[in-house]
Amino acid sequence: MLTYLKEPHKREDVLRILNPLVKEWFFSKFKDFSLTQLYGLLEIHNKNNILITAPTGGTKTLTSTLSIINELITLAEHNLLQNQVYAIYINPLKSLSRDIEVNLNNPIREIKEIAKKQGKEININIFSRTGDTTPSEKQKMNKISPHILICTPETLAIVLNSPKFVEKLKHVKYLIIDEIHALAENKRGTHLSISVERLQHLTQNNITRIGLSASIAPLDEIAQFLVGSDRDCLIVDVNLEKQLDFKVLSPVPDLINTTFKNINDELYDLLHKLIQEHRTTLIFTNTRAGTERVIHTLKENYPKLYNENIGAHHGSLSKTLRHSVEDRLRNGEMKVVVSSTSLELGLDIGSIDLVICIGSPKSVARTLQRFGRSNHQLEGVTKARIIVTDRDDLIECSVMLKQIIERKIDRIHIPTNCLDVLAQHIYGIAISDKIHIKDLYKLITSAYPYKSLDHKDFNEILDYLSGQYISLEDRYIYAKIWHDTETGMIGKRGKLSRVLYMTNIGTIPDETSIKVKIGETILGTIDEAFLEKLKRGDVFVLGGSRYLFKHAKGTVAQVESTATLKPTVPSWVSEMLPLSFDLASEIQRFRKLMKERFERKISKEEILKFIDEFLYVDGLSKNAIYEYFSQQYKYVKVIPDEKSIIIEYFTDQDGSYIVFHTLYGRRVNDVLSRCIAYAIGRLQHKDVEISICDNGFYISGKKEKIQVLRALNLLKSHELRKVAELAIEKTEILKRRFRHCATRSLMILRNYKGVTKRVGRQQVSSMILLNAVRRISNNFPILSEARREVLEDLMDVTNATKILEGIESGKITIKEIKTNVPSPFAFNIVSQGRLDMLKMKDRIEFLRRMHQQVLNKIK
Amino acid sequence: MNILPGIKIVDLGLFIEKHKILIISDLHLGIEASLNKQGYLIPRFQFDEIKTRLKKMLEEVNPKTIIFNGDLKHEFGSIDRQEWNQILELFDSLKDKKIIVIEGNHDKILEPITKKRNLKIEERYDIDNITVIHGNYIPEKLNKIIIIGHEHPAISFPDRQDERYKCFLKGKYKNHDLLVTPSFSFLSQGTDIKRENLLSPFLQQSLKDFEIYVVEDKVYKFGKLTNTF
Repeated sequence: MLTYLKEPHKREDVLRILNPLVKEWFFSKFKDFSLTQLYGLLEIHNKNNILITAPTGGTKTLTSTLSIINELITLAEHNLLQNQVYAIYINPLKSLSRDIEVNLNNPIREIKEIAKKQGKEININIFSRTGDTTPSEKQKMNKISPHILICTPETLAIVLNSPKFVEKLKHVKYLIIDEIHALAENKRGTHLSISVERLQHLTQNNITRIGLSASIAPLDEIAQFLVGSDRDCLIVDVNLEKQLDFKVLSPVPDLINTTFKNINDELYDLLHKLIQEHRTTLIFTNTRAGTERVIHTLKENYPKLYNENIGAHHGSLSKTLRHSVEDRLRNGEMKVVVSSTSLELGLDIGSIDLVICIGSPKSVARTLQRFGRSNHQLEGVTKARIIVTDRDDLIECSVMLKQIIERKIDRIHIPTNCLDVLAQHIYGIAISDKIHIKDLYKLITSAYPYKSLDHKDFNEILDYLSGQYISLEDRYIYAKIWHDTETGMIGKRGKLSRVLYMTNIGTIPDETSIKVKIGETILGTIDEAFLEKLKRGDVFVLGGSRYLFKHAKGTVAQVESTATLKPTVPSWVSEMLPLSFDLASEIQRFRKLMKERFERKISKEEILKFIDEFLYVDGLSKNAIYEYFSQQYKYVKVIPDEKSIIIEYFTDQDGSYIVFHTLYGRRVNDVLSRCIAYAIGRLQHKDVEISICDNGFYISGKKEKIQVLRALNLLKSHELRKVAELAIEKTEILKRRFRHCATRSLMILRNYKGVTKRVGRQQVSSMILLNAVRRISNNFPILSEARREVLEDLMDVTNATKILEGIESGKITIKEIKTNVPSPFAFNIVSQGRLDMLKMKDRIEFLRRMHQQVLNKIK
Repeated sequence: MNILPGIKIVDLGLFIEKHKILIISDLHLGIEASLNKQGYLIPRFQFDEIKTRLKKMLEEVNPKTIIFNGDLKHEFGSIDRQEWNQILELFDSLKDKKIIVIEGNHDKILEPITKKRNLKIEERYDIDNITVIHGNYIPEKLNKIIIIGHEHPAISFPDRQDERYKCFLKGKYKNHDLLVTPSFSFLSQGTDIKRENLLSPFLQQSLKDFEIYVVEDKVYKFGKLTNTF
């Protein structure tokens, strides 16, 4: 059962539980309990599961640990403290784990001082253990147990399988999961959820689970994720009334008629002005390329002002560089730091006066997290600006701001029934001990993401792990567990199994970085995935400049500079953050309200007034928003919204386009577009081009007429998923995700027989792997998981199905229009550049067509 | 379909009609084991497909001689259990034929296996005006018609570059006729001759006038390479 705590506990009640030493220490450092502490301390003391969500600030860590430290101090005083782990604190980042170790050891040391003065000897051990911990430190931990262990999700999985260390975990009473919002929505969280159930199973206790989260939704689900199936949890949503100073800014008064170059120039002037008005500014750009570009341009435009005091922070940078930036930030030496997404998590980076987001952060939750980095301490004002560079961005961010002010947070998606993570964990469980499959199933389904795990899928994974898919004589190479179908027991198999498992734990896929060079000069890096899409002669954009791709060898791509050629591939598609479905729905709702006013011929003044009341924007933005809608309405007399999809047909010299105005976010549009294109392919036997973005998608064929509505009518909502599976079968993304899933299920081993695989393009192509697996079965569980991951986690087949149901029931109407020039709303959808060519399934038919074309040419 | 007078395309092999000689190349038996060792635990499936296709070809043309034109084996530096088993099984299934094994660059340690069946490893095979050689180096003397393997040729088409089709190449090397056979292995679709660097010294030249014969469900004659753009 989930219970929301509406009132904090009384101060006296909380005081009562504190050990005098702890009380003395606490009030020597702080004036009083924080609101978060008044909610949480007593509940944790009473061993109640609790999820605490609060904006970024200093008190969550202490809230989660103070009651535990309190208990440990009391035990220590009475000489009852054992050499074992009492609490595990999970944090997603290695560096944060270390920070927390320092932050918790300070109070311990200070309390120890106080105790000493009273003639008492208190020794509480708090250690962090991550991939960076040295072997000697680990050995020390085997002897002197940490009472509180701080670690990453991966390290927890490792220690659960370390025979020496696991003994110390048998009496764990508390589990804290920090930054749970950053874990629940990806496979690291899925992986952690089973590790937690293993821990539970190991201790035979009811471990008290404490979840710490930034602003997130839906809280019910996150709470269930924390505690697993069928357990109780308290939920605390600490809404601190911080003073908010948020604005959406446009660099120019007229976003429509100003050239891109001018908008860009003004953007940097605006950035410069804002930066100079504040002491330390943190800028978020959404992409790594964007980060590099901003820094490069600021340095170029104002070389005297931006040099050592400006820095980048993103995932492609080395650890050393990142730490250097973090340290300098903490010491107040940085004027401005530019990040893609890496500084969203709660790493302590000192005091930031201003947060700027360039372009929409795409979800309310993410925006809140970013904004929360402004002035880390709770008391100050949260000051943030979003700078938009086009009209869709303007509307999106204006609606987003409204959601923030009205505290409507968009929901995240929690991956469920991930079979690759399941395979890895069953392997780990079998290594540590024999277990009956009934108990195994029970353990796994206690984890929330696996609550509804199909027995069929469970058995298929067991078959995969025990090598059932392989001929008997070769089984010894592949089987990781033995499964006695008579007794129902499983256990480890092979002398190498422990080593193999321990050196290949994890869920984060290895991604190769490809260096882009002209001759010997390095221009930047791109993803391996992006490289896979490039062919000789393609033009792409990197760091603001255009390059012609020549060829690639190993991890280097050779290019030529070009100023004239048009880009043929969209840049950094793989990096784009998707617009959240909930926020998309809100934008559609705004569109509806605007549409109604235009249809009722309401005056411009009245509409401006409405915009003023509905959104929280300034005069220039108000006008720009009005103009955008007005132009759309004047031109085509229709405005798409949540209940009406507009299909717009137009032709230009490159071909005919069919634009779908479906503002549901790219995750849904990815499914809809591919399925419609697939249906067209079956109907008309042709390949079509598709391109998607958050606001919609287009389908384009060279010259023939495309029967889009017929294709759409062919799609039935109850079959949509099946069609989507067929539509993604030949895509790069499926190949790539399959490779990730194969690595997680230990079908591809990063570390094998003492050799660590160098990540690079010499590696076996995903195509070969897929081919091999397809020959066993097209429903090989790892392949099924890859499809699930693509359709449910990366794309959004669930909401796409709901949209289709809406169309079928008539709740969502479809209107077709023809234009000579794309309507204003269509413009952004069309200028995206080609995403993908949807291929027809049959390779022989394609070959025959090619052959026929050639025969015709020869004649 | 004849690729040259007297030389017929049979699935992924070439058949010299006059002497009833079937030539296939680049089987790379043992490749899955090699991948397994690198930590790619993909199952072994290649051999079954090789056996099936070869059987069909034997039924179609009933050759007297089979030539394995190089890279019968995959692993350079050692012999894997899979290689022993599969190669010996392959030889045994051809007991009533004459078997000629030409050395390919992957066949460095093939001899212990061929010895078990009293087979020698040849550098080359010459008959009439034909020289059959693996293709990883160019010998001094060559007959008018040269048949090589080694390259694993395949072709792709614009707008669908990751869909590859195995093919034969017919062209010229100096004033010789050059034929290149596709690989008789099924782990990958081969090297896209339009987009990748080629290995064979015979092919370090412009291929634009080479003719393409794609093999899929049947043989598709595409004419010059430039037709496929």
